[in-house]
Order: sequence, then C-alpha cells, then structure tokens
Amino acid sequence: MELEDEIFNDGLPKAYYKHDDNGQYVLETDAPWAEKVSCALIISGNRANLEEIRKAVLAGQKSPIYYYMEMRQLTSGMLAKAAGIAVFRVKRHFRPEIFAKLKPSVLNRYTNALRVTLEELKTVPNI
Amino acid sequence: MTTELAANGKPFVHHQAAHCETGVTSALFRYQGVDISEPMIFGISSGIFFGYLPFMKLSHLPISAFRAKPGSVFRKAAKRLGGDFVIKTYRDPQKGMDELRQVLKTGQIVGLATNLYWLPYMSERHRHNFSGHNIIVIREIENGFRISDPTIGYLVDCLADGLERARFVPGPLNPRGYMYYTKSVNPHPDLRGACIKGMKDSCNLMLRIPLPIFGVRGMRFLAKKVIKSPDKLGFQEACRHLAGTVRWVEETGTGGAGFRYMYAVFMQEAAELFGSEDLAQLSRDMTAIGDTWREFSVVAARIIKQRGKEEETFAKAGGLIFKCADREEAFFKNLQKVVRKLKA
Repeated sequence: MELEDEIFNDGLPKAYYKHDDNGQYVLETDAPWAEKVSCALIISGNRANLEEIRKAVLAGQKSPIYYYMEMRQLTSGMLAKAAGIAVFRVKRHFRPEIFAKLKPSVLNRYTNALRVTLEELKTVPNI
Repeated sequence: MTTELAANGKPFVHHQAAHCETGVTSALFRYQGVDISEPMIFGISSGIFFGYLPFMKLSHLPISAFRAKPGSVFRKAAKRLGGDFVIKTYRDPQKGMDELRQVLKTGQIVGLATNLYWLPYMSERHRHNFSGHNIIVIREIENGFRISDPTIGYLVDCLADGLERARFVPGPLNPRGYMYYTKSVNPHPDLRGACIKGMKDSCNLMLRIPLPIFGVRGMRFLAKKVIKSPDKLGFQEACRHLAGTVRWVEETGTGGAGFRYMYAVFMQEAAELFGSEDLAQLSRDMTAIGDTWREFSVVAARIIKQRGKEEETFAKAGGLIFKCADREEAFFKNLQKVVRKLKA
C-alpha cells in the first residue's frame, strides 16, 4: 500500500473519463485501483532488478555499463546504436575485466550515449 | 484550466486532457479559434486501435498498443480538418533549439515530440523510454520554457537544458527534435465529413488488417497468451506481464479502459452532430465495452494481489479479453453499416 501511495502522490495526476449511470462523461483525476496495483508491481520489480545489478557490479560480476544501461531503460541493442559500437562489443564490455581495459575514446562514447560523467561511469553508487 | 499569454500577448487556455497527442492537437486548433474537443480529435483521426507487439519490449515487457501509432493522430487530424502545419526534424540539437526560439518569438505556440524518460518534471511512474510524448511550448522564459503538457493539470516550467535532452536522445528512439506549428487553419472545418472519414478508417484498422497481431485478431492473440502465461512463464513473471498489459489499458494516458471511454465520448458528440439515434446507441455499446476492459483490469489486479484465488484466474482474465474482442467486432461491423447511411 505504501509504495502505491508514494508513487501516485507525485503531484502529477492524470485525467480519466468517468461515466455515471446515464452515460454522461466527466474528466476526473483519481486513478483506478487496478492501475495503482499494476504500476506498483512494475516499479517495485524494476527497482529490485536495478538493486540486484548494483550488487552484482559491486561483487565484480558485471561492469557499471550494464547498471547504467538498465537505469536508462535501454537494451544492449539500443545502447549499441546510441553509442555507435557493435552489439557484440557492447555485450563484451559488460564483463568487468574487459571494461577495465577500455580506452578513454570508447568510454567517451558510452558517456555520451548514457549521459553520465566519466567518473560516474567507472563506478556504481555505493549506498 | 489556466490561461497564459503567448509571446505576442495572445491568450492560451490550458485544458487538462487524458492523452498527450490528442490534447496537443486540440489545443493547437483551439488556439487558432477552432473550438474542438479532445475526443472529437481522437475520433476524427481514427486513434482507436489495437496491436499486440510481443517482439517490441519496454522495460522487459511486451507492448500492447490501444491506439494508432504515435504521430498518426496529429497527421490525420490535420489532414481531415484542413489544417496546414509546418513539420520539422533536425540533426543538430543546437539548430533545433535555435529555430524553436525563433518561432516562439513570432507568437506561435509549438508542439514538440519528446522522450518521456528525459523530461525533467516527470515523476518515476511516468518515466518510460518512449519518444512520442507530445507537449506544447508557449513561450521562452529566463533560462527555460513555459510548457503546457496536456496530461498535467497546470503549466510547468522546463529548463532549456532538460528540454534539449528530451528532444534529442541518442539511439534508435531519437525524436530528432520533431516540432510542428500552424501555418494556417481552416476556420470552419467540415466536421461531418471528417467524422465519417475517421469512423470508416477506424473500422478498416480494427477489422481488416490481415495480420494476427492487429485489430480484433490481436485481442484474441493476446487473450490466448494471457491464458497460457502462468504455465509458460511461472506465476510471478505471468503477473508482471499481466501488470504490463493493465498498464497499457489504464495508464499511458488512455483516459481509462484503453481509450474505449474516450471513443464513447466521441460517439456521443458525433450523435449530437448528426442527430443520429444509431450513433447514440453505439456510444452506449462502446461504454459497455469500456466497462468490460475495466473489469479485466480489476480481475488482473485481484490476481496480482492474490485476492479470491479460486475465482480470479488467468483463464477468467483471458476470457474477458475474448469477450471484448467479440463485442468490438460486433461494434465496428455495426458502425460500418451506420456510417454508410450518414451524409456529410
């Protein structure tokens, strides 16, 4: 319940058409219950997924690029197009030992595509 | 409803709308003195649609679209109502922003396509990586822009930096600074003719696309997938997929029940315009279809919350989509017959 209230009390209510028994429609701004439930499920799923990846990066199983890609809601194919790097290379760069050896010119492409600074790209936020 | 002055002092009235693109289009027409409501635009531009796209994913969930593809609502409405628009895209972000500022100085209001993820004023639940969110820029203010986003009830300020990022996103989803503003608008558009064209087009889109993922066939395809999903994906993942579908039905600016309520309002307005009892009856049918979609989302939410495990099953949710598909098929076949009798 808490998460649903948290994400729906953001001050940006959407409008919904509601009808009474006579079929007269009005525009109202309270969200239907079903939407709140499913939104909360998806957002909590996304957050848990991101948190898992963050831990994997800290444990040295994935590179930070993977974390930022997931954060920006991209897939490896989209990231490859955005950065101008072939998909198989992008997937290779998800391995931390290969990521550690990348040249600054390649890293700069990632920083532009993901819109993070170079310092940020080398680590993940350690909460 | 708030009023704001554009750069040349002409008042712009901000109305909240359910959907971004129809809201922007109706606001652009209203600013030019053509009083036209959001559902009317939605009907005229044949926005109602269904498509289930399992091969396109948004945050790991398949897309089920309840409306025509982004951009087509604006394009069709402009064509059918006789509005002449300047439409531009840019490669160079700097040039795109400079031209936006120049156009705003002449007192025009400008529609933009932006990426929802990068719009600075959006909150977490609105943030999808979706590049078809339409907004209106009213005028330039100190280091930013005054923006009327029709899905929000009030006007917002947006930093120039943030807007540039939302307009130019690297990668395949780049909106490339898509921008449009009025050149001229027909002050007395032929509403009746446009309505008929829109309805006919909608019937064709829903009934006659020979692919199993679009129109009423697509609904049945989705229904089968929903029924099979707990066996194929496991309960947790099936719930996530179901939640994704509900999000497409209720959220993403549909105005409730996957645009079906909005279309019912359009049918009501059209019934008044033509003075036709058939259309009024169809509007009531559409409201019933919308109620079925709403029932589906409630059943889905109860499955997710695991309430009443015995009666709320995936088979029931899928059955409701089948019911919607049957009713919509009957609805659009009726509409085809009714439209033939209408005179422009």
